[in-house]
Order: sequence, then structure tokens, then C-alpha cells
Amino acid sequence: MAGDQANRLTSGGLIDRSTALSFRFDGENFLGFKGDTLASALVANGVKLVGRSFKYHRPRGILTAGSEEPNALVELRSGARREPNTKATTAELYEGLEAASQNRWPSLNFDVMSVNQLFAPIFVAGFYYKTFMWPAKFWEAIYEPAIRRAAGLGRAAGVSDPDHYDKAWAHCDVVIVGSGPAGLAAALAAGRSGARVILCEEDFVLGGRLLANGGTIDGLPAAEWVARTVAELEALPDVRIMTRTTLFGVYDGGTYGAIEHVNDHLPVPPEHQVRQRLWRIVARRCVVAAGAIERPIVFAGNDTPGVMMASAMRSYINRYAAAPARRIALFTNNEDGWRTAETAIAAGLQVAAVIDARPDVSPAHRSLASKGGFPVLHGSVSAVDGGKTGVRKISVSLTGGARAEVEADGLAVSGGWNPAVGPTSYHRGRPKWRDDIAAFVPDGVPPGMAAAGAANGAFGLGACLREGFEAGAAAARDAGRSGNIGSMPAADDEIFSITPLWHVAGKGKAFVDQQHDVTASDVELAQREGFQSVEHLKRYTTLGMATDQGKTSNVAGLAIMAAVSGKSIPETGTTIYRPPYVPVAIGAFAGHHRDENFHATRLTPSHHWAAELGAVFVDTGLWKRAQWYPRAGEKDWLESVTREVKAVRSGVGFCDVSTLGKIDVHGPDAGAFLDRVYINAFSSLAVGKGRYGLMLREDGIVYDDGTTSRLAEDHYFLTTTTAKAGLVMQHLEFCRQVLFPELDVQLTSVSDQWAQFSIAGPKTRDLLQEIVDPAEDLSNEGFPFMGAREVKLRGGLKARLFRISFSGEMAFEISVPARHGEAMARNLMIAGEPFGVTPYGTEALGVMRIEKGHVAGPELNGTTTAGDLGLGKMMSTKKDFIGRVMARREALVAPNRQVVVGIKPTDKARRLRSGAHIIPKGETPGPENDQGYVTSVCFSPVLDQWIGLGLVERGRERIGEIVRAHDPLRSEDYDVELCNSVFYDPDGGRQRG
Amino acid sequence: MAEFSWDVRSPLERALIAGPYGAQGDSGVALTEIRNFDLVQVMARRGKAGEMIAAAKARFGVAAPETPKAIGTSDASLIWSGPDQFLVLSKGGKHSIEALAPVFAGSASLSDQSHARALISVSGDKARAMLAKLSSIDLHSDVFGVGAAAATSMDHTSVTLWRGADRNGQAVFNLLVFATFAESLWHTILDSTAEYGVTIGHSEEF
Repeated sequence: MAGDQANRLTSGGLIDRSTALSFRFDGENFLGFKGDTLASALVANGVKLVGRSFKYHRPRGILTAGSEEPNALVELRSGARREPNTKATTAELYEGLEAASQNRWPSLNFDVMSVNQLFAPIFVAGFYYKTFMWPAKFWEAIYEPAIRRAAGLGRAAGVSDPDHYDKAWAHCDVVIVGSGPAGLAAALAAGRSGARVILCEEDFVLGGRLLANGGTIDGLPAAEWVARTVAELEALPDVRIMTRTTLFGVYDGGTYGAIEHVNDHLPVPPEHQVRQRLWRIVARRCVVAAGAIERPIVFAGNDTPGVMMASAMRSYINRYAAAPARRIALFTNNEDGWRTAETAIAAGLQVAAVIDARPDVSPAHRSLASKGGFPVLHGSVSAVDGGKTGVRKISVSLTGGARAEVEADGLAVSGGWNPAVGPTSYHRGRPKWRDDIAAFVPDGVPPGMAAAGAANGAFGLGACLREGFEAGAAAARDAGRSGNIGSMPAADDEIFSITPLWHVAGKGKAFVDQQHDVTASDVELAQREGFQSVEHLKRYTTLGMATDQGKTSNVAGLAIMAAVSGKSIPETGTTIYRPPYVPVAIGAFAGHHRDENFHATRLTPSHHWAAELGAVFVDTGLWKRAQWYPRAGEKDWLESVTREVKAVRSGVGFCDVSTLGKIDVHGPDAGAFLDRVYINAFSSLAVGKGRYGLMLREDGIVYDDGTTSRLAEDHYFLTTTTAKAGLVMQHLEFCRQVLFPELDVQLTSVSDQWAQFSIAGPKTRDLLQEIVDPAEDLSNEGFPFMGAREVKLRGGLKARLFRISFSGEMAFEISVPARHGEAMARNLMIAGEPFGVTPYGTEALGVMRIEKGHVAGPELNGTTTAGDLGLGKMMSTKKDFIGRVMARREALVAPNRQVVVGIKPTDKARRLRSGAHIIPKGETPGPENDQGYVTSVCFSPVLDQWIGLGLVERGRERIGEIVRAHDPLRSEDYDVELCNSVFYDPDGGRQRG
Repeated sequence: MAEFSWDVRSPLERALIAGPYGAQGDSGVALTEIRNFDLVQVMARRGKAGEMIAAAKARFGVAAPETPKAIGTSDASLIWSGPDQFLVLSKGGKHSIEALAPVFAGSASLSDQSHARALISVSGDKARAMLAKLSSIDLHSDVFGVGAAAATSMDHTSVTLWRGADRNGQAVFNLLVFATFAESLWHTILDSTAEYGVTIGHSEEF
């Protein structure tokens, strides 16, 4: 009966019987114990049916006891924490766990879509491609969504994940993957030698296969040896044991990716803790002791619930004290499978029969059979009679042709073992075939890596310990550690004798890839249709492409392909192995970089003052900039921005412009350096003066612009645009270090050192006189346009003052060391109070620059030349500079280039939109008549209408011409006039005044 | 005529809330912002690295670092920041840019960075565990000993990291971070530290 742990054995197991845990599966209540996985608790409760298959909706049970599980995938947890496709075999049981089966409706027991099984003959490989070809446009809209609904895995939560994830780095001499006998022995040798060791174990308990197999090591029962070894390792200061941690990828330079399931074993992570942590482990050496994965044999009905890997049965019986069946049949082609019969007998379970595909069975096993009173049948399982309630009867084809039937409620299968060659093959190494164990073993491993134990094809316990210990010692030695490694742990070696058997011919579906419902006949069909290469086989049939990456199916699939194509298995080869070894949640890769922390942000020195004022902020690159400062009663942004512009143009305002890139250019050759990076001259600039400069790329296109001032003979202060600040610094460093190493020039970013404010408007000087020391002369004579020098402020602080204007008004920029930035904003408000000072944001800044015809980002767009921007005359003819030669290319100086021009709608009430295309009057819109587009627009409070800048073919020769602004995105088409790009104060009197 | 106060405000003044943060109980990490320091970038002029080092030696009594190291004197730290360049970190104006200008006249270019950085000191049992979430640098004592320094990045942000003198037997790591990134990085640091329990403070002293 479900719910009463009826299949729990009365003794044994690594479970804590004093801690019962209640959980729900598909709405039904169950009990399990601490130490269980969800799968083992379901086994203990007699639950056989746990899911429906991907394509045919066939009933499926639990096949394995590890991370290779293809069938027992569930939705774990509920609501925002729901995780689809979680393997019941690795999900640690916790109090209150909730899980639901997947891919069934309305219920697991009665699944409507299981009618797909009736159509199974047509759902063969390539079915979708062959069937849903016409009409082609139906694929995206109808076929694919319908197929996705029918064939599916679990459902994502669909809402934001409430938990946190983080990422961390770890460094060591030796990283060891797996804590079975080989991994523990490797850790012992490396740890004793003094190496820094990280031991990663994906399970929550150390020991690997020892947990299921037992055995004797150094005369101790395996469990005691594990405990003693772990205690020794834990006492070493530089050994870190990481359980619940899967090494999933191998990257360049000895970097490994690992995922730690920090709190997946709890319903909700404790406060302040993360659910999972992504590790980047940097190691000099790596020992892969990840073990091997037992492989199924492909026969009809091999997916019936109750058919289980033989090793998994041992795990459930020995580790979890949970009986997968009461009367067990075993189908094996190797010696190791027999251990499950031994285990079953020891646990008091019945063995119905052992079906051994090999010609001979050892005398020891024969006597086991006679003592246990069960037959040994030489042959193969050809069919399984059973269904969603489990296995009932097994048909056996005996060697020689006769048939037999075995009644059993569980069938253990062992087709041999595949070393876990994933991690060793992630650098495109191809594993090599070994006939003696009928398996692929690592070859061409990544630099610094070695495989040991079962992962290396050594299946005996003694061999695992030897290989592990030797690999650990060698890795530590290679990492320069030479401490005494002590004695090697020892154990006997079991015999592993195998006669390969991949596929038993028979009637009914025989599954190769259970997660993707790929059958043996699909593989055969692929071969017939020409998809013979394993890479084609994989893609045509989807074999091995499910979330389990074919851990239990790939080798069987390629072996069947080898057989039908008449090649050997090594000739057939393997597909490429790629990380991740197990699925890794995207959230773990994101770590804390989500929501407001998605990327780093930068705050201006006056940010918190602006926030107090209620500023609206805009993201410009990483920066948060004040966009405008709304006031009570203003109905929209336009009203606020218009007020700010009018206040500046009629009085005074200020704006934080600290986001501009700022670079100290020092050294005797600073002027010569700037001459080479700017198109215009800077060596001739007088100390105490600033100049607008334009930089080109090597190809002659404009790169960046800004004002650069000379503060001393050997010190210039260069500014860049906000957007290009970092890039210009890189560019200049490249010029300094690579292009012009002969120049004595030093560069330092001082972007964060200075809080800089633009103060603009006719009353700027009035405001400044309040704040600057009275001894400072701010008159036109004492501080002319483009002047730049240090001044003293009232209260003693020193500041830099630059007389530059972006707004077209009388303006200064003032900078103070950044920690004074907020005080500066507050003091400007105090000093400007009598003059109605108005803080303004980036929108008003933009309006005024468009009114003034200054180019900015939309015009410096990576396609424009200095000439296009109307700045061609700045290009010096007396010196060389970056971009000079290439800027003279024919196409860059062609007379019909699109150049910056002013644009205004002929209907003054019409709103101009950026992006609208410029078409000559009377012409049809289209590429052949496209003469450019509107780059920047604003509502101009001065002109009381929308205006803009655009890049228009021969624009400057066409001032006064009426053209069409054609805007298909917004379905607009209207007349605009091309005009002078300087809409406001074209002779510049105001900024010089 | 109004008189103006030019109060300083550290880049972390709003974000930093002194006291315990995160997990309850004994805190595993102490985070302390050091406020109001002088920081000067010293870069050798072309071919003058030797003169610069000699000038530093005359001024500070120690050789300036030529490899990623931080060298402490009684009243300053010289922190490597790149080939032929280092930072001078001090307090109280004794080694401000004005004071150092004559020292390095002709041998190096100086740039004031006093306001361009925030300085965060990290210590405690879990300091390395927490920093491992932010930094790719191996901070094991055998690798990153007292005086080791690195010009590196955290949270995609440039950081100068160095290990100062141990305090109460525990390692102390110092982070110089760009001022305008400081608040953002601070939140990332807190996210990464909360599980260990944090004691947050600020100090005018190193």
C-alpha cells in the first residue's frame, strides 16, 4: 500500500529512521526518512509509476539511483519555486516536499495523451519533419506549438524566482571529481602530500558506489573506512570537501565549473542564504574519479515500470533499505550484475531467476542459485508483460531457441558499465574503446587532468583505490607538493567478465533513449535513411539530446548503429561530449546580477541631492542621470523640461555633468600627443584656455568630441562624451603605449575625482560671484570665453572653472573634488536663490544643444565624418593626426554625403519625430529616394515648435527647401523645411557675453 | 553674503548603515569604510622610473613597489597600480598631491585620486569566503600574503585590492573602488556577505 513505507526493509540502510519526513507526490501523502531521495522514498512506498514519457506518454518508473536518470523527472516544489524536470533520484527528501509528475493529463494514472501509443507506428524518427512540412508557414504558428504542448517536460514556474544564487571562485592544486573509492584515495594521497585539494561530490553523502556495494578496505567494512578517511581529510587544513556539488564543465587554463546545491535539500533556503552557488574552480591538476554508469540492455518492454538498473536496485536495497520489488528477476551480461542477486537474497527478497546472456556462469554463482532456489537461464529477456502497475511476467529467449517465462514484480538489468567520460572529453578528446570491458574509456583528456578508477575503466575495488591513490599522488607531485603520502588503501579486486549484449530482437517497442522515447527501430530507420554518422543519428532521432544527455543511452544507440551498418563500435565512434554534465539553472549563472543589480550602476556626486528633489532618473550607459526635476502641478515631462529650458535661457540653471569622461594628460609631450589624437591643434593652446576637440578613428570616421583645457605647460585636462568615456581612455592608452611610445606622456582617468556642474544662463556670472571668492575676476576680460583656471571659492575650497557652453548661453563649468559635489549642488541652490536658479536635467540639456545645433551621440553615430558634422574646417592641414589619411577617401568626401542640417515642420503645430526619413517632394518613399533621416528632435521653447537635426544628402546646400518627412513606423508623412542647424543665437553673442 | 559649507560626503555615506547586517549571531565579516584619505597616482615619466623610485625612497624611506605589492610606512601606503606607477595612500594632508608635487617634479606625473575612490577594509573569519564571490584572485595566505596587491576587478568594476597588516591575528583586505561605482558595488558586497553576518562600520583611521 502506498503511504505506509510497505517496501521499507526492517533494518539496514544509511537512513535515519528516527527522523520521519512527510511529503506529497501528485497530491498524495507519504512518509520517508532523512537520508532518502524522493526516488528512494517512493520506492519504499511501493510507488512504481512516476511519470509519462516524452513522446508516447508511456508509463515510466524509476530506472536508476543517480544523476543519469532518464525517467523519474518531476516538478519539485510549487508556485514561484516550481522546478521542472527535477530528477527524483537526486532530489534529497525534506519535510513537506511537494512533487508532481510531468507530461500527463488529467492524471498520471489516466493520461489522455497515452493514445499516442496507438499511433506509435507513425511516430518514428523524423516524423515531425516528414509530416508537418506543408504549408510551410503553419510550422511556426500551429504545428510547433501544438507539438510542444503534446510532447513535453515539466512546466517552468513562470514567475520571478524568489531565491538567490551566487557565484564564487576557488583555487587549489588538485580538484577531485567524485568521492567513491578512487576519489577518496586520490584525496588522501594529495591531501597528505600537503596539496590544496577540493573534493567535489554530487551526492549529499560521501562514498560513491561504496554506499551501495559495501566491501572491505584495509580490513574495515567500507562504511567505516569511508568515515575514517573523511575524518582524516577533514583534519587537513587545505582540503575542502564539497558535497552536493557537481563538476559540470572543463574550461581553459585549468578552470572548472561546478554547481553547489547549497540549500536544495531544504524547502526554502534559510534567511540570507542562497539556493545554489556556481563555482569557478582554478586547479593545477584534476583527477576525475566520477565512476561509471551502468547501461541498460535494449529489449521490448524495457521501459516498463519495475525494470531497473541492477546497480540501482543495490542502491535502493543497501543504501536506502527500500525494496524495489519482492520477487526480482535479474538480466545480466556480466559478473557485476550478479551482486544484485546477492544483495536481494541478503535482504530477504526473493530472486525469481537470473537470466545471464553469457555462455558460462561461475561455480560460485551456480551454488548461490541452488542455495537461493532460483533458476539460472542462459539467454535474453525478449519481452516484459506489465504496465503502469509494474512488471508481471518476463519472457526469456533461451540460448538454443526455446522460450521461458518468469514471474516477477521487478526486473534488474545490467548491460555493463560505461565510464563517465564526459569531463575527460570536454576538450574534444574522443574516448577510446576497450574490448575487455566493452566500454569507452578516456583518451585525449584535457591538460592537467587524469581519470582514475571506474571512470578510467578500472571496475575492481582494489584497482579503484590503487588508481585513485596514484593519480592523487601524481597530481600533487605535479603541483609541487612532496609531503609523505603514507600507505595506499587496499582491497581485493572483483572479477568483471562481460559478453557484450546491446539489443535483444523482439516484438514491441525497445527503448534506447527512454527520456526522448527513441527506440531501437528508430536507430535502424535512421541508418536506412542515410543518417548513419553518430552525429546525424543523434540529431535525426534526438537520441541523447534530452536533459540527461544520453548517459544511459548513447553507447547502446551507437552500438546498435554499428551492428546495422556493419561497422565496429570504435569505427562508429561517439558524438562530441559537451558541458554541462548535468543541467545547471540559468539563475546560478546570473548569481546576484538580477533585477536592479543586473549590472553595476554609477551615481553622480549629486545623485542623492537630486533624488531628494524628486528628479526622474534615466539610465545612460551605467549611469543614473537626472533627466528632469518635476514640480508639483506639472502635467508631463514636456512641461517640466520646457520650464527648465526657459529658466536657463532667461535666468540661470545648473546641471550635473560629472558623467563626462575626464582624463589627466600629463608630460612634456602632452601637447604633441593631443595633436596626434585630435584633428585640431592643442600644442598651441595657451595655458588657461580650453578648446573643443574632435577625434577620428583610424578609418576617418568621427570617434568622439569634447573640450580639453590646458591647466599647465605639461598638464591638459581632457573631457570625453559620457558614452565613450571608457573607450576613449582605452584608445588613448593604446595610442600612448603602442602607437607613440616615444612620447613622454602619462594618462590618468579622473572621471571619478571631479564633480562637475554646468551653470548656464544670462545670470550665471551673478550666481558665480556669490560663490566664488570676491578676489576672482569673472568679467569677460578677466575670464574670457574658453578660459580655464583654478579659482578659490568662498569658504576656502579650490575649484576649477571652465568657461564653456553647450547650451548657447553665457555659461561656466565648475568642478570640485567629488566628495564636495553634493555640497556644491546645495550651495548653487543657495547662491542662485536670488536669481531663481533652476536645476535642469539631461532632457533640457538636450533641448538646448539641439536649439544650438551642437552634435551629440545621434550624430556622432559611427558613420559620420567631420565634414558631415559641419566641422570639416577643424581638420588641421599642418600636422598629422589619427584618421587624416583615410578621411580623404573618395566616398568620405563625396559631395552628395548626408550632412547635418536643421529640420522643422512647415506646420508649426506638428510634432517632429526622430527616425523619420527625408524624401524629396513629389517622390515615392523608398530606398531609391531616401535622402537621410531625422537624428535628434526636441520641442524648442524658444521657437515654440518642434525642431530637429538630421543627416540629409547635400543638406547644407538645400537650406530653405521643403521636403517630406516620411515615417512608416508611425504612419506619418508631413512637410519639413531644411534650415540652418543653429536655431538659436547663430552668431554666438550670448555665450560670449 | 552667504557663507558656504563645503562638507564632504563619502560615496558610501548614504548606502552604509553602521551596525550588524545579515545573518544573526557572531559576524563572519567586518566591513569598514575608511573615509577622507589622500590618494595620489604617481606615474613615471618616460625613462624616469629609476628617478621616481629614488624620489619615493627619499620621501618615504622605502622602495616603491615594482611588482604587485603594497608597502606600508608609518604614515603612508605605497600600492602598486601598474608598470612604473603606484598609488600613495595617506591621511591628513602630509602626502597630498600638493605635498608630493615637489618630490616627484621631473620624474613622475601626479594625479589626485583622493576623491575618485572609496576605501573598504574587509576582515573576519569569512573575509576570504566572501571575497571569493567577488574576486578571481587566489587569496590563500601562501599565495596572497601580507603586502600582496592586485589591480583587478569585482562585479565588472576596477578594484585595487591589497592585503594590509594582520589585525588581531586576522587577515585584513583593502579595496579601493571607483567612487561612482561604490554604492552599486557595496550592495553586491552586502548580498555576498549577508549569509556570514556582517559588522558594518566606518572610520576616519586606517
